[in-house]
Amino acid sequence: MTYLPKHLVIEDAVAESPVVRRILDALPEVPVRWAARVADQDSASDDSPTLEVARFRGRFVKACPGTRSYLCCGYQILHLGTQCSLGCTYCILQAYFSERNLRLFANLDDMWLELKEHLRSSPREVQRLGTGEFMDSLLLDPLTHLSRELIPFFASQTRAVLELKTKTANVELLEGLSHGGRTIVAWSLNPQDLIRSEEPGAAGLEARLEAARRCQEWGYRLAFHFDPLIAYPGWQQGYAEVVNRLAAAVDPERIAWISLGTLRFMPILKEIIRRRHTGSAVLQEEFVPGLDGKLRYFRDLRVEMYRYLSTLLRRWVRDPLIYLCMESEDVWRETLGFSPVERGGLSAMLDRRVLT
Amino acid sequence: MAEPHLESIPLAAIDWQDISCLITYGPLPDRLRRSIRAVGLLQIPLLQARQHGRFRIVSGSRRLLICRELGLEPITCQILGESLSPEDCLRLAVYDNVATRVLNPVEKSLVLAKTLASFPQPQVIGEFMPLLDLEPSIKLLSRYLELQRLEKDMLNALADGRLHERTASALLLLEPTDRRALFALFGEFSFSVSVQEEIIELAMEIGRREGMAPAEVLKADPIEALRREQRRPARHRAEEVRRYLQGRRTPRLTARWERFLKETRELGLPSGVRLVPPRYFEGSHWRLECTFQRGKDLARNLRTAAVVAEQPEFQRVLEGHSIS
Repeated sequence: MTYLPKHLVIEDAVAESPVVRRILDALPEVPVRWAARVADQDSASDDSPTLEVARFRGRFVKACPGTRSYLCCGYQILHLGTQCSLGCTYCILQAYFSERNLRLFANLDDMWLELKEHLRSSPREVQRLGTGEFMDSLLLDPLTHLSRELIPFFASQTRAVLELKTKTANVELLEGLSHGGRTIVAWSLNPQDLIRSEEPGAAGLEARLEAARRCQEWGYRLAFHFDPLIAYPGWQQGYAEVVNRLAAAVDPERIAWISLGTLRFMPILKEIIRRRHTGSAVLQEEFVPGLDGKLRYFRDLRVEMYRYLSTLLRRWVRDPLIYLCMESEDVWRETLGFSPVERGGLSAMLDRRVLT
Repeated sequence: MAEPHLESIPLAAIDWQDISCLITYGPLPDRLRRSIRAVGLLQIPLLQARQHGRFRIVSGSRRLLICRELGLEPITCQILGESLSPEDCLRLAVYDNVATRVLNPVEKSLVLAKTLASFPQPQVIGEFMPLLDLEPSIKLLSRYLELQRLEKDMLNALADGRLHERTASALLLLEPTDRRALFALFGEFSFSVSVQEEIIELAMEIGRREGMAPAEVLKADPIEALRREQRRPARHRAEEVRRYLQGRRTPRLTARWERFLKETRELGLPSGVRLVPPRYFEGSHWRLECTFQRGKDLARNLRTAAVVAEQPEFQRVLEGHSIS
């Protein structure tokens, strides 16, 4: 599943970037337009995907946009690009970014400077960074080879880990890298019938699990995100099947953590989903506005789904670190039987897991 | 542009088929008819001279129609020269109309459609939208242009204020049969504009979820029964229609709410004391509301409420578990 753009728009400022060289080498046939500055109006139509390669002028390291209303995992974003081409109907990036082109930031010298300074000066004992918040971590890897720079760098960090979150099977370049156990490769999982209807451009379940199995074979720790959990007729059977296949594919001892999070989105996304994905069924369940203003499943359904999944997972993994993404303490207690506050906070729980 | 001159025009010389500058919509106003009948034409219509002694109406179509209806002719009009472009005539028509009256939403839509056919889009957004008291935005422009797709009866309702443009825009998301069903419902039950939008959304979502058309959703027995209960206050019946649709769209929330009401009734809280759950049962911030007249009533109610709060049943209500 290599992303193949039909056009490239590259900012002059990053012309000498090694990542630009690699992209140009990988896509010799793709027409390139050089621009003083990539602007939002460069967006092309859907059938003409464009990869924009730009100089990023903001902060490369930033806190995940959590909310005070729900418990946040304290993940930090290593911001290397925006947008995604996998076409997941529920994807929040559709609302975050008005333009639909993928944009990659290629001024990596600036990124390295900022990242090293951040790791040196941050008061946090453990740093959990990930590249999968505003883009898929591995979608562009066959073109950019960024994993080959990031993974060895984190291998030398004693108190930092990198989490690469993906819905692809693009793991080829991870083989043979010296990772030092400091890179966690993570997949978002859903039942195959949901993948077919709601994640049309993503790798199938089997391909994701096979990629996870290979990464495990290469010594990486893994993580899995049942996020978004989507309620549909027969969801129990669908997710049970996912857990069964997961259990058959990977060794539970190598799993760093598993997150659960039911579908939630900013209200503005509802209209976008209706307009862009007429066949999608993700809006059919009942939603209520949450404390953060996002629409969520009614709490009783969320509790039911979390209980069901956590029970299945606990049957399989002896001591899993299952956490809920953006949920309240009362939902934690009702589903997992405790609140992270009792264990020093969710962030601390995950940090401890990094160090083990 | 040459100055217009005054000329007395027979009605037969007017090209009634040329509606290129026509931006009025709706029935002829009675007030205008009464005025013309009583004192004649006070505002002089604006026409453009055309070939073969014919004239195009630029502004004043309603006045001219009333004159025709009343058999008043010839009529003194201001006449513009033939050399004036159709675009300039349209522009004059718009400026003349907005200077003397507020255009209804259908007329605004007409103005935007016609100007868009003659002027570049940025000019329509930048010049004509503010003239119509509309926020200059491409999104709003599209919304107003879409109104032209409405059926005649809905356009009439929009023009005379029975249908709000926000509701009209929401109705346009529906198939014609569903649109008609919702429009009919709004004629039968009185809802605010925001509730009308909510009801359209509910009917669409229920339809999608249950695999039926929104028009079918509105044929549900409880709604039909409310239609027949003409003797009950319209406001109550409308609220019940809304609640029925909400309940059908959010069965879990509704069931939880009904269970909560039943359980709190059984708690034995004193009269005047009300337990209020978090909105949508989201989060853990509950409230206890107490209405009282005297301090000792408050003290007594709070003592009783404190005893109730110690009961396991109270805790179960907070946790959402069923008592039974």
